[in-house]
Amino acid sequence: MKSIRGCMKPWLLFFMLTCAFSGCASVQPWEKQNLAKPEMTFEGDRLDTGYTEHIYSSKEASSGGSGVGGGGCGCN
Amino acid sequence: MFHELNDMRKQRELCQNRKASVLGALLASAAMLLPLANLVYADAAPEKGMVGIKYLNYHDSQTGDTPLTAGMSRDRIDVNALSFMGMVPIDGKWTIAGTFIEDSVTGASPAYHGWGFPAETASGASGDLRHAGDLNVTRYFSRGTLTLGTSYSEESDYKSLGCSLNGTLSTESKNTTLSLGTALNSDTIDLDRDTVVGGKRNPDPGRKTVFSGLLGVTRVVAQNDIMQMTMTMTHGYGYYSDPYKDPDIRPGHRNMFTFMTRWNHHFEGPNGTARLSYRYYSDSFGIKGHTFDAEYVQPLSNDWQITPLVRYYSQSAADFYVPTGSDPLVMTPTTGMAHYSEDQRLSAFGALSFGIKISKEFGDEWLADVKYEHSQQCYDWGINGKGDPGIPTFNMRAIQIGVSRKF
Amino acid sequence: MKTQKMKKFGAAFIALVLSFGLSSNASALDKGEKVPDFSLPGKQGAVKLSDKAGSLIYLDFWASWCGPCRQSFPWMNEMQAKYKAKGLQVVAVNLDARTDDAMKFLAQNHADFTVAFDSKGQTPRVFGVKGMPTSFLIDRNGMVLMQHVGFKHADSEDIEKQIQSALEGK
Repeated sequence: MKSIRGCMKPWLLFFMLTCAFSGCASVQPWEKQNLAKPEMTFEGDRLDTGYTEHIYSSKEASSGGSGVGGGGCGCN
Repeated sequence: MFHELNDMRKQRELCQNRKASVLGALLASAAMLLPLANLVYADAAPEKGMVGIKYLNYHDSQTGDTPLTAGMSRDRIDVNALSFMGMVPIDGKWTIAGTFIEDSVTGASPAYHGWGFPAETASGASGDLRHAGDLNVTRYFSRGTLTLGTSYSEESDYKSLGCSLNGTLSTESKNTTLSLGTALNSDTIDLDRDTVVGGKRNPDPGRKTVFSGLLGVTRVVAQNDIMQMTMTMTHGYGYYSDPYKDPDIRPGHRNMFTFMTRWNHHFEGPNGTARLSYRYYSDSFGIKGHTFDAEYVQPLSNDWQITPLVRYYSQSAADFYVPTGSDPLVMTPTTGMAHYSEDQRLSAFGALSFGIKISKEFGDEWLADVKYEHSQQCYDWGINGKGDPGIPTFNMRAIQIGVSRKF
Repeated sequence: MKTQKMKKFGAAFIALVLSFGLSSNASALDKGEKVPDFSLPGKQGAVKLSDKAGSLIYLDFWASWCGPCRQSFPWMNEMQAKYKAKGLQVVAVNLDARTDDAMKFLAQNHADFTVAFDSKGQTPRVFGVKGMPTSFLIDRNGMVLMQHVGFKHADSEDIEKQIQSALEGK
């Protein structure tokens, strides 16, 4: 039986931390014209995402990844 | 009285790397003294509320397109669904958002592999009608958000209740945001029904409890690039078998891990945006999955927008998946095994999807959209070689039509 | 094994939270500080801040793509009309990289106050602008009376009170 701990490799955390605080050039508040566009955010059309995630998670073994919470379903 | 701008700039540049600023008194940090205020549009509470409605029509089928699976072609499931969403900002600091969905399912799913369909009745864990909804309350702070959520899902044989708590914390520049979340779900599966396979019928319902935790970082990389990385861990225990599949006895717990990376890039020239994502999935059933998503949002004239998308998915089989034998129409014996399943969703396969979404804005308030998506699963499209050749090719298509309004 | 992993995870998390607290490299103009002068192209000729010395100045940094900025325009019109006679001057510095975008915005959103254009973003750097929009209330001697980030109707009442008291307490 496999354990989930085997999957959580420390390099992942390290990668996330380095990326988060690397010396990327800082973007100023007045330079966020394009970042302000709705399509540049990670939130999308909620109902579309709801349908799409529901469809794929009921036909594939993988699920989740983009957030926690939200409705469960009997589509085992 | 007034200093010259250029002199100020030169001085600041000179001493930028030193702690002691020549301009000390002039340019001391005021940030700590700022009252709680919305620092940046993106993390600020939305200015407008929104309502939306969306219709879904879904159809899937399987195709016996190899000598082994010849004759297995047939339609499987049809779904018609209607969903609603609403979001209301309150006092510039709060939002309440909710969704509600009703869907109806007709058709049938196989009991094992790609075969074993029940007679012409609705079947599978999906009952005739499902209702689901969620409600989220978010409090916006100057550098973060806190969201409390509840959710439910109900169908004739299945009930799920959930609650969640999510928080975000941003740096002062708003260029880095940390996300933390946790959720708890409790499911009840009715096993006292005629459609439940014989050996699993039980007056007591099956129960399942699932905990999830999330850690994520969102980072503005450049003026046209933003990245997000999210790790999710889920631990669940209880009834994981499928009451309508036979043979199918699964372990009583399931741990899942996902690592998801998303990257959005804006192209100045065409004014379009590429949205890419990759998800790694691994669970204690022994399944590993890779999901690649790419879409490109292109605004056109007159407030039209077109978004083509592609998706590739690959998974390995569960440790206890029992493949087809020489005849895919016959179930494989499982005598002597502790856990086993012949559910094709636990087999190894790859899937490829294509889709397109077209939307149009009417003024600043109305938005209408249509989306078409088609996907195909094949036993030999996986990253790690071939899966089970006795599983027929699976096709699905979904059409969505939606309207939303800001107010 | 498990506790070791959890410890690692915990340590990384604490480091992450700490670095958030320390990652501020801010230096915004604070209350009581003298403001730097600037000269920028405007809607009607050059706009030089020091030319307005002697007036109470409401200096606003905005952009066409910023939602709260759009909401602040009617309010700034109202303030300019209401307190012009008492000596208030509203100066709104546009920070769009493409001044064309600002012009389109101004065609739809009427501005009854001084508008200047800084497409290179030099002034917000010096003023330490931390969000969009950011505004400064500057007294008749060129000293910062107030700095405010964002725009909400709830906050605007408070800012108006500060304008009133600054105009009366000269």
